[in-house]
Amino acid sequence: MTALTLTLNPVTPPGATGRQTANRRILQSMRERLAPYAYIAPFFLLFAVFGLFPLLFTFYVALFDWDPIGEHRYVGLQNFRVLMDDPRFWGAMRNTFSIWVLSTVPQLLVALGIAHLLNNVRLRAATFFRMVVLVPYVTSVAATTIVFAQLFDRDYGLLNWFLELLGFQHIEFTASVWGSHLMIAAMVAWRWTGYNTLLYLASLQAVPRELYEAASVDGANGWQQFRRISIPALRPIIVFTVVTSTIGGLQIFTEALLANPSGGLSCGAARQCQTLTLFLYEQAFGRFHFGYGAAVGVALFVIVVIVSTINYLLATRIRWERP
Amino acid sequence: MLRPHPARWADSAVRVRRVLTAAVATAAMLVAAGCTPGSSSDDSGSSGTAFEFWSFTGINQKVDVERYKKKHPDAQIKLTEVGSTSETAQALTAALAGGKVPDLVLIQGDDLPKFMQSPENFVDLNTLGADKIKNDYLDWVIKQPTTDDGKIIGIPTDVGGLAVAYRTDLFKAAGLPTDRTQVSDSWKTWDDFLEVGKKYTAATGKKFLDNVPTSVFFQAVNQGATRYYDNSTHKMVYDTNPEVKAAFDLTLKAGEAKIAAKQETFSAAWTAGMAKGDFAVTSAPSWMLNAIKTNAPTTEGKWDIARIPGSAGNWGGSFLAIPQRAKNPQAAWKYITEMQSPAGQLENFLAKGNLPTTPSVYSDPKLLAQTDPFFSNAPIGKIYTESAKAIKPFYIGLNDATIGTELLNTLTSVEQGKVPPTEAWDTALTNVKNALRG
Repeated sequence: MTALTLTLNPVTPPGATGRQTANRRILQSMRERLAPYAYIAPFFLLFAVFGLFPLLFTFYVALFDWDPIGEHRYVGLQNFRVLMDDPRFWGAMRNTFSIWVLSTVPQLLVALGIAHLLNNVRLRAATFFRMVVLVPYVTSVAATTIVFAQLFDRDYGLLNWFLELLGFQHIEFTASVWGSHLMIAAMVAWRWTGYNTLLYLASLQAVPRELYEAASVDGANGWQQFRRISIPALRPIIVFTVVTSTIGGLQIFTEALLANPSGGLSCGAARQCQTLTLFLYEQAFGRFHFGYGAAVGVALFVIVVIVSTINYLLATRIRWERP
Repeated sequence: MLRPHPARWADSAVRVRRVLTAAVATAAMLVAAGCTPGSSSDDSGSSGTAFEFWSFTGINQKVDVERYKKKHPDAQIKLTEVGSTSETAQALTAALAGGKVPDLVLIQGDDLPKFMQSPENFVDLNTLGADKIKNDYLDWVIKQPTTDDGKIIGIPTDVGGLAVAYRTDLFKAAGLPTDRTQVSDSWKTWDDFLEVGKKYTAATGKKFLDNVPTSVFFQAVNQGATRYYDNSTHKMVYDTNPEVKAAFDLTLKAGEAKIAAKQETFSAAWTAGMAKGDFAVTSAPSWMLNAIKTNAPTTEGKWDIARIPGSAGNWGGSFLAIPQRAKNPQAAWKYITEMQSPAGQLENFLAKGNLPTTPSVYSDPKLLAQTDPFFSNAPIGKIYTESAKAIKPFYIGLNDATIGTELLNTLTSVEQGKVPPTEAWDTALTNVKNALRG
């Protein structure tokens, strides 16, 4: 910024003094210094109102026993002490991480594979397939969830109908921990795989064809090309998708809310698939314990920051590997 | 008129709406946090007869509103069916905290104690004339929306007398009596009820009951003289009250009898199972009749209604309230006094089957003569008022809904085979304690 301003303000020629000129110069230089800030201000103002303020306010509310239509009583760190000792919180933590791993890992791997296939120059109707993978993404989450919940139903679900056809017993997916996690992970993966595929594909298209051609000439097979050319070229976008799907995965809400509709806000009688965000919602908007809900929000914030940092560090370790 | 487990209501439209409610509630909170509370601007023409009314889904509130409009063609009522009972309470809380409030709102009995904590959010209806009509209502019902210093913040719309609905065609196939008096006599106690169930399942190989947590526990626990709070000291006694423990143990015993289809009340599978005849019996508080009709319209004429095993009890009931910041409390109050007067409630019963809270109409010949063709012409007026008259009211406290949910959830876990019956009671108490602490 300083450098820029200096080049725009030539050194004052000797002898050209006088109050007016000086004033004008100061005004001019101020305007030039401030203009860039004005240009970027809209973003920061919106961020302050809708991002920063709610964030800070959440930290503030977390220190209170806060009844939205009654009293606000300052309790210090009491909410956090109760939280650390609350089996429901740790259960929600387990569920969140389990669902996150079950959905994110297969999702990104499959997306990579599909992107690689779609990038094939000999593929016919490529645009059609590229469109198709995005269809789940534009479908409403609520609609998806309701359909999936019916597929996984114990008595009348399609999946159990197949199991019965094959001679197996019906499985009550929603009642068990693993069953319900699997079900929710399937919904998440179904929705986001196409989106990630397109991101990977866009990145792959930027890789020079010559690299692949040269590799084939050298006798590299498809897997080797994928492993040694595609993946390293995708490094930045892999980091991006890993970070975004981590943040998204740790905040799964709608799927858990609607997956087990008769389970209320706990996603099942034993809270078997209640995620952290759903737990937050239950406390804040189901039971109106805003202070406790805010404490869960703060805990979630800390967890997301830690996990994002860790997987950023891991993902940046993928480097070009020389053949 | 109330739903047992509000959050358990599950048809897809409601599920979608639940997400919307969440969004609305969150948005309202943002408004609450950002703006000065109470800064709602007057945007309606505010003519003397216009008001906004928030109600629940699934109870056909439209019918009442239409009836009122017919009598008062100039009345402008904007009815919003917010969601399930608890979702409506959530949206109301968000609105009271600083959003736009309705002029009239329906609050379900279990949610009422929360709002009774801060009665200053509502109009004291005595100022509008509630003190003159309060004696029209059942004493123990009008007590619930009355504060210690005598303010009345709600007018009761209905009570939920208990009964059992059963399928006559399926009973006949199982070789059981089908006449409602004989059926009622065959299950004087809950133990008898389980015996009938075992007979049915042995004869047909099919399940007798929809589920045990809702259909047994929620009935039995509402039949006691005391529930989760002591009636005089208003202290929580859910863990020491022998009536709660007895209802809990009865439910475990019912689970071991293996007579239930294990379909949670109001789940999608429950609806499907009801239409398919996968169970022959379900609990039927008065407001449930509407739910059976809507969920399984093809079973018309195949149901009948019998007395509940054990004694009489109440499950549910709702209240109409006017928020303090309402723009047109007068119009809302006019609606209340007309629709919830003894004559109004009688009319409502004849139209929809909601049991009146005004005992003066219990002996009305029109009410006693009321039968329902969907339920084999059962005299629903007679059955439910008999049940309502014998009710032993118990005190409902702030944490009643939470305690009820946790106990029910534990029993559902037992039914799903995730908690062994021997550990159920201890698990339930731990769950309640955790929930009350947070």
